[in-house]
Amino acid sequence: MEKEKQVVKSYSLARIIKAGWINFRRNSFLSFGATGILALALLVLSGLIILNFFTDTVVSSLDEKVDVSVYFQDSAKEDQILKIKSDLEGLNNVKAVAYVSKEQALEDFKSRHGTDQLIQDSISELDYNPLQSSLNVKATAFGQYASIVKFLEDNPLKTAIDKINFYENEAAINRIESISKGLSVWGTTITIFLALVAVLVTFNTIRLTIYNKKEEIEIMKLVGASSWHIRGPFVAEGAFYGIFAAILALAIFYPAIHFASPKVLSFAPNINLQGYFMNYLGEMLLVVFGVGLLLGMISSGIAIRKHLKI
Amino acid sequence: MINFKKVTKKYTHHFTALEDINLEIKPGEFVSLVGPSGAGKSTLIKMLIKEDRPTSGQVILDGVDLADVRDRDIPFLRRKIGTIFQDFRLLDSKTAFENVAFALEVSGAGEDEIAEDVPRVLAIVGLSEKHTNFPKEMSGGEKQRLAIARALIHRPKIILADEPTGNLDLVNSYDVLKLLWRINELGTTVILATHDREIVNTVGKRVISMEKGRVVRDQLEGGKYII
Ligand SMILES: Nc1ncnc2c1ncn2[C@@H]1O[C@H](COP(=O)(O)OP(=O)(O)OP(=O)(O)O)[C@@H](O)[C@H]1O
Ligand SMILES: [Mg+2]
Repeated sequence: MEKEKQVVKSYSLARIIKAGWINFRRNSFLSFGATGILALALLVLSGLIILNFFTDTVVSSLDEKVDVSVYFQDSAKEDQILKIKSDLEGLNNVKAVAYVSKEQALEDFKSRHGTDQLIQDSISELDYNPLQSSLNVKATAFGQYASIVKFLEDNPLKTAIDKINFYENEAAINRIESISKGLSVWGTTITIFLALVAVLVTFNTIRLTIYNKKEEIEIMKLVGASSWHIRGPFVAEGAFYGIFAAILALAIFYPAIHFASPKVLSFAPNINLQGYFMNYLGEMLLVVFGVGLLLGMISSGIAIRKHLKI
Repeated sequence: MINFKKVTKKYTHHFTALEDINLEIKPGEFVSLVGPSGAGKSTLIKMLIKEDRPTSGQVILDGVDLADVRDRDIPFLRRKIGTIFQDFRLLDSKTAFENVAFALEVSGAGEDEIAEDVPRVLAIVGLSEKHTNFPKEMSGGEKQRLAIARALIHRPKIILADEPTGNLDLVNSYDVLKLLWRINELGTTVILATHDREIVNTVGKRVISMEKGRVVRDQLEGGKYII
């Protein structure tokens, strides 16, 4: 036992890394294949991040379009409205409530139609404000609107409410909900599926690379190498696949984003690929290098296991 | 030190490579193992490093029955022994230097020791000029000498030399023999398997003759290769 510790200690990390690097360089043909496949896997992963960015943006812009307005009777008092507002804010399926008073509504209306002389004239002819005060409610998720509306209808101050524009919009809200749900489900399914394929292909490539060394592994065991003497350099070699694959993938990904971004912006002005990926540059580096390293090392570590049985 | 007790190895039901082998080899002995091709010499050697297991019987080394050595302790067993394989078993993706260094690394040597000992051993077997050659860039005899260097590098207590002169000319063969001798004089147990009559007769120490998997003769002193 003591002996083993001593052996492991002297077989230092630096030596393992050096051995891994030498193997990586010498098997240039096989290493190139494994690195290339791993780089492709990382590009697939980056592509999936784009896909998720797309679906997130689309879903949240759809999300923003949906809300419910509660209009109040002229007789409703402001403190009643504010009471309902704070009740609503107390619900955990409500994200935000905005209060628009009669006066505010009129202001908004005027400024919205600022250029339309006819409307301006007819408003100034009126000696009362025809608009209603309202609460604008945004739920945390699509499915919550029905229960929020139910809450309002059961509220003791219900008499102050004139109407809720939920029922007119219900069909549209449901449609948007199903579209955005579909998008997220498909996005997630495709992501998991492609990520699995990428991992499996990488693992198999590395497994084949190691299979080629099966005789050498046999010999190493015959001259007294322990599992760690053999595994160490292979795992280090896997790490080098990961590092170079990450560099390769990023060297392809970022220029591609740079070219594609303006084209995407021209038909979807709220999807700024370049802005997004430059913003998250640090995270991208971390993810791509991290996944590359892990995938390379874990694949090598697992692939070598079956050759180590004596 | 080494004991074979009723060792039998059957590769198939009707083929027996070793049959009822009983041997005792003492520390520091120099034993020549002779016999025609297919007699079972290499098979006997494989039993000692647990590359293969006997079908029945016991192989005992330093008082330990090898059947009781757990898989994870096999590396320790193998580090005690230096094996020169009949088919060399060199690491093709490593240079001559690295092949020898690997065996030393495995037994726990540090960088300094490696930098010092490996060139020395390579010089002893006459491969000073070939440090950076890969096995495929070496002649048969050079590979054989590299295999010898690797077996010696970690100063094992036992050397198993399976046909170590098979690819060498007469002069080189005698050099190898002298080397094994010298190592033996320093206290290492040497088991030399060969069918080279000249070599055996020169050694003139204990000679164990095998035929068809059996020990047919065991001459303890001044042995000759008799067929
Ligand atoms: N893995 C194996 N499977 C089946 N038969 C085997 C196996 N290994 C060896 N044998 C057989 O066992 C017998 C003994 O082989 P071994 O290699 O021990 O002979 P040897 O005495 O070393 O011969 P040589 O002088 O040619 O090296 C041979 O007939 C060989 O065919
Ligand atoms: Mg043989």
